[in-house]
Amino acid sequence: MLRSKWMRIGLVTVMTSLSLGATLAEAAGVLTIGRREDSTTFDPIKTAQNIDLWVFANVYDVLIRVDKTGTKLEPGLAESWEVSPDGLTYTLKLRDAKFSDGSDLTADDVVFSLTRIRDDEGSLWADPFKVMDTVEATDPKTVTIKLKQATAPFLATLAFPIASVLSKKGFETLGPEKYAETPIGSGAFTITEWRRGDRVILAKNPHFWEADRVSLDGVEWISVPDDNTRMLNVQAGQLDTAIFVPFSRVAELQKDSNLTVHLDPSTREDHLLINHEHGALAKKEVRQALDMAIDEQAVVDTVTFGYGEVANSYVPKGALYYYADNLKRPYDPEKAKQMLADAGASDLTLNYVVRAGDEIVEQTAVLLQQQLAKAGVTVHIQKVDPSQEWDMLVAGDYDICVNYWTNDILDPDQKTTFVLGHDANMNYMTRYNNEKVKELVAAARIEMDPAKREQMYTDLQKMAKEDVNWIDLYYSPFINVSRNNIENFYQNPLGRFFLEDVVKN
Amino acid sequence: MSEPLAAPALGRKGRFRRRGTLAAGVFLLGAFVVLALGAPLIAPYDPIAQDATARLQGPSWLHPFGTDNFGRDIFSRVIWGTRIDLKIAVIGVIFPFLIGTTLGTVAGFFGGIVDAIFMRLVDVILAFPFLVLMLSIIAILGPGLASFYIAMALVGWVSYARLIRAQMLVLKNHDYAVAAVSLGFSRMRIMFRHLLPNAAAGSVVFAMSDAVLVLLNGAAISYLGLGVQPPVAEWGVMVAEGQAFVTTAWWITLFPGLAIVTLAFAFSMIGDGLADLFGVHE
Repeated sequence: MLRSKWMRIGLVTVMTSLSLGATLAEAAGVLTIGRREDSTTFDPIKTAQNIDLWVFANVYDVLIRVDKTGTKLEPGLAESWEVSPDGLTYTLKLRDAKFSDGSDLTADDVVFSLTRIRDDEGSLWADPFKVMDTVEATDPKTVTIKLKQATAPFLATLAFPIASVLSKKGFETLGPEKYAETPIGSGAFTITEWRRGDRVILAKNPHFWEADRVSLDGVEWISVPDDNTRMLNVQAGQLDTAIFVPFSRVAELQKDSNLTVHLDPSTREDHLLINHEHGALAKKEVRQALDMAIDEQAVVDTVTFGYGEVANSYVPKGALYYYADNLKRPYDPEKAKQMLADAGASDLTLNYVVRAGDEIVEQTAVLLQQQLAKAGVTVHIQKVDPSQEWDMLVAGDYDICVNYWTNDILDPDQKTTFVLGHDANMNYMTRYNNEKVKELVAAARIEMDPAKREQMYTDLQKMAKEDVNWIDLYYSPFINVSRNNIENFYQNPLGRFFLEDVVKN
Repeated sequence: MSEPLAAPALGRKGRFRRRGTLAAGVFLLGAFVVLALGAPLIAPYDPIAQDATARLQGPSWLHPFGTDNFGRDIFSRVIWGTRIDLKIAVIGVIFPFLIGTTLGTVAGFFGGIVDAIFMRLVDVILAFPFLVLMLSIIAILGPGLASFYIAMALVGWVSYARLIRAQMLVLKNHDYAVAAVSLGFSRMRIMFRHLLPNAAAGSVVFAMSDAVLVLLNGAAISYLGLGVQPPVAEWGVMVAEGQAFVTTAWWITLFPGLAIVTLAFAFSMIGDGLADLFGVHE
């Protein structure tokens, strides 16, 4: 009796879980995407996180888009644009587009959205838009932007998902808080429900100006924090796709005939931050020696399982103005040891701040610790909480620390300014200081001749490598996995998913 | 965890089984001590030496427990880890034991205001979830084993204090205690010479089962990145590091996990055996 009761309970459990799995997978035309964290906001100017950007890039449309290769601009809500010869006046012609509530998208909405990025007190992205002097709606379909000074990356900045066009009327009706939860956009999809901490549910936007292009009925971004669980969910068919595939799982997933593993080129570059204000690290020769003491290829082999590639510049490979022939210092621990001795830093001891819980960062730390030991450098690993890590970097309470960067816009200016241009962040917390480099960064921003600009960025890459502003480690792709019935699941190098082209069979 | 292990009244057969349990526990623990002391001789490889040519290899004759993603020999790391984990279990128990026993004795013997103060302190500490309090202390002191020991000592003593106090309350009214008082012995002598030895048995038994908890706490703290720092081999850290590979290279996680379970088992058997030997009853 007891036994049969337990068997019945077991059977019911199995059947329930089976049918649950089936409903998850068979909802027709709805693509499920598994990822680590859930979104935090849909207000474009209040986030700097990919987990937000990657979702609202398919909810909002932008004036100018970046193409699939991540290297060219193409028309978005603006069907054409003109730049005056002095580079100060931009005239954008809007196409006939509608918001998801059916209202027309007009020049007023564009003016509202762009000035809001610049002027709103809570805007995280005011700086790149401060160059705008005036933004005006010349007529309902024309926007005229006047800049304070000619700025080469301005068009690329307009293609940043942060510059999404919001509905002025919708925003004023709903208010900022409500709008950040259930926004009115003009992109391929619109939000039907957001279960905080769990999932974002999107439905096809029937008013999207390219609605014919969209095949899916909807998309669900589901948060599955544990990497192993997320991969198992895709393998079991409970998810159509999963992003953030760990390097260690790629080979195994490739063997599964139901799955396709995507290694899409990205602009991610991992590097070792150096605190230039700490003792011997102020000396260029010491930093060069550290660069020689690190075997980047071993990091690529061990940490990325060979899916990464050794980096030779802070500009990601394949990105605009990447200098392929930049110096790559050979791995030579003996010479590094000698150089350290010559610089009077034989007994160098470094405090290596490590973000606890990040598999990649922890593995890199263990590897670099051993490599640097061969050059006579003692490394103390200090594991800290992610939130604490950021504070320590800002306070300069570290010697070395691994970090990474993915480009948000296709122009190199954004990252260059952040990393070399003496911006407000102490050159990405490194305290790197070189006046000549700083001047060149500013000059490259306003140089309008592409050939001259390319030369300037080539010089910058050489100078950064010479000074070792930080140590470039490796480039790595975005790794995603999808089931075979999903077509065209693709992420461009700037991280945008082209969900408008995805087909679920 | 605040109650001593109960040993039900046993017949001859049961008593023998308990003795057997104690012997087996001591034997197992002894084996771990030998591994810890002899680690440099027994371990076939350097526990932190990386070998790029032997990454993620399954168990074989060359590497009985396989290798991890850095090509480090898991077998050697488990053996070297014994040193750290035994230390964690022992130090993590001794300080709470000493502090708790002393304070509990004093509180139980004197009673009144002294008792009230100590016991309210115990209540305050018990009001917080154990791990949360530990983590906050370690967060303040900074990661590392030293912080772990301090946090253990600050938080772990309360169980011992309560245990001993309860015993003292009973014992101090026994005839021999009253006799000692009337003979004019000093309070210190009565407390620590006459009463404590009779009260401590329960605590010793509890310490054994507590060692298991401390061991698991140490592993948990290291797992969270707040205990042992890399590249040192510690079982909890090894389990944490292997988690990423659990579906592709199970041996990285399995063997240190087994080591934790086995050592915990040894402590627990010793505790069981001692409970019977001392005749500790609920």
